[in-house]
Amino acid sequence: MTTRISRALCAMATAALVCGGGTFISAHHSFAAFDMAAEKVVDGAVRKVEWTNPHIWVYIDAAKPGGGTETYAFEGMSPNYLNRRGWTRTTLDDGMKITVHYRPFKDGKPGGMFVSAKLPTGVTLTGGGAQQ
Amino acid sequence: MTYRSTALASLVASVVAFGAIATIGAQEWRTKSPTAADWAAMAKLPDFNGVWETGRAPAVAGRPPVELPPPGAAPPRAGVAGGRQGGGRAAGGRGAAPGGGGRGGAPAGPQLTAAYEAKRAELAGRKAEDTESANCLPPGMPGIMGQPYPMEFILSPGKVTIVIEAYTQVRHIYTDGRPLPADPDPKFFGTSVGHWDGDTLVVDTVGFSPEILLTANTPHSDKMKINERFRLTSPDVMTMETTVTDPDALTAPWTTTRTLIRHRDWTISEYICEENNRNYVDASGKAGIRLDK
Repeated sequence: MTTRISRALCAMATAALVCGGGTFISAHHSFAAFDMAAEKVVDGAVRKVEWTNPHIWVYIDAAKPGGGTETYAFEGMSPNYLNRRGWTRTTLDDGMKITVHYRPFKDGKPGGMFVSAKLPTGVTLTGGGAQQ
Repeated sequence: MTYRSTALASLVASVVAFGAIATIGAQEWRTKSPTAADWAAMAKLPDFNGVWETGRAPAVAGRPPVELPPPGAAPPRAGVAGGRQGGGRAAGGRGAAPGGGGRGGAPAGPQLTAAYEAKRAELAGRKAEDTESANCLPPGMPGIMGQPYPMEFILSPGKVTIVIEAYTQVRHIYTDGRPLPADPDPKFFGTSVGHWDGDTLVVDTVGFSPEILLTANTPHSDKMKINERFRLTSPDVMTMETTVTDPDALTAPWTTTRTLIRHRDWTISEYICEENNRNYVDASGKAGIRLDK
């Protein structure tokens, strides 16, 4: 399990995520609620960003099959970590259309652990910050 | 006043007096006010002041990498692979030494005595889905020194203060010559004293909370001691070597080394873990997420 989590994280990691000796370093972060072996993708519009410790939360509204929308919740890294790496409180605007890659919640609720998002500006956001 | 009430009053007075004496005993080292000479002496110490973070990579995209010492420039002690993370899943969460161990046949982590190997197996067998870090409990020593967040070193006469951003923690390292306590209360950071060995800050720490884990599921005894050696290897690079000894729990000292990089354009930010923590692990070890908090 540890190895699988580490590999999954290191695979998605940018330079800012530290993958020393096959072990992911993370303050606080709990992986228990996520299926770390799976990756899903969803398109939606940013509904809300909680720019808070110990982790940010990004909520998007995505279209449901058959009509209507559904809100997805994604747990990301911390504001402290991201602020120093180009992803700030104002990077995501409400209503911005983004495509999110994520490790889904094990319990089937919509959302999971944030892996990456592509913004209309061409910027890519990851757990390691923002890259052009 | 009856004889009985007199005796009671006398007993109360004795208890109060004894309490006062015990308190004075615990506080017998008195901090002196620094003199002008003490402040002047600070200028001769190595330049440790500033904001440091563990790691090997530049933190900001598009910025040139911080120059790290070439391999071999700061050789770690025998049996230690430098700058790498030991431990398992708990590394960086609860438990987790600040790095080291593993490659090339070197021990991957603390080598436990049979009695403590049994304790580790028992903890692992409980199959908790996560550690208390999911509930914002800080990792304590030595794991707190290896978090992916910066630490500010502040040198002042008789003291080194390390302000740790992760979990908003502080370590107090007294360099005024006071001894370590003989029978310290157990604490997450223990009780630390330090001294300068040339340009190396040497810190000795004793008295750790039983809540602390060295790596995932790895406990320690009340005899654990931690020795840390900090020294600059270039102006903005510091080596941190951490040696854990524990005659009950470890068959040999466990040494790890890690590199800290100074970020002169950073300041320490606040980190209130309880601000919006949606992770949890309950008493039975079951972990989850609160989405509707």
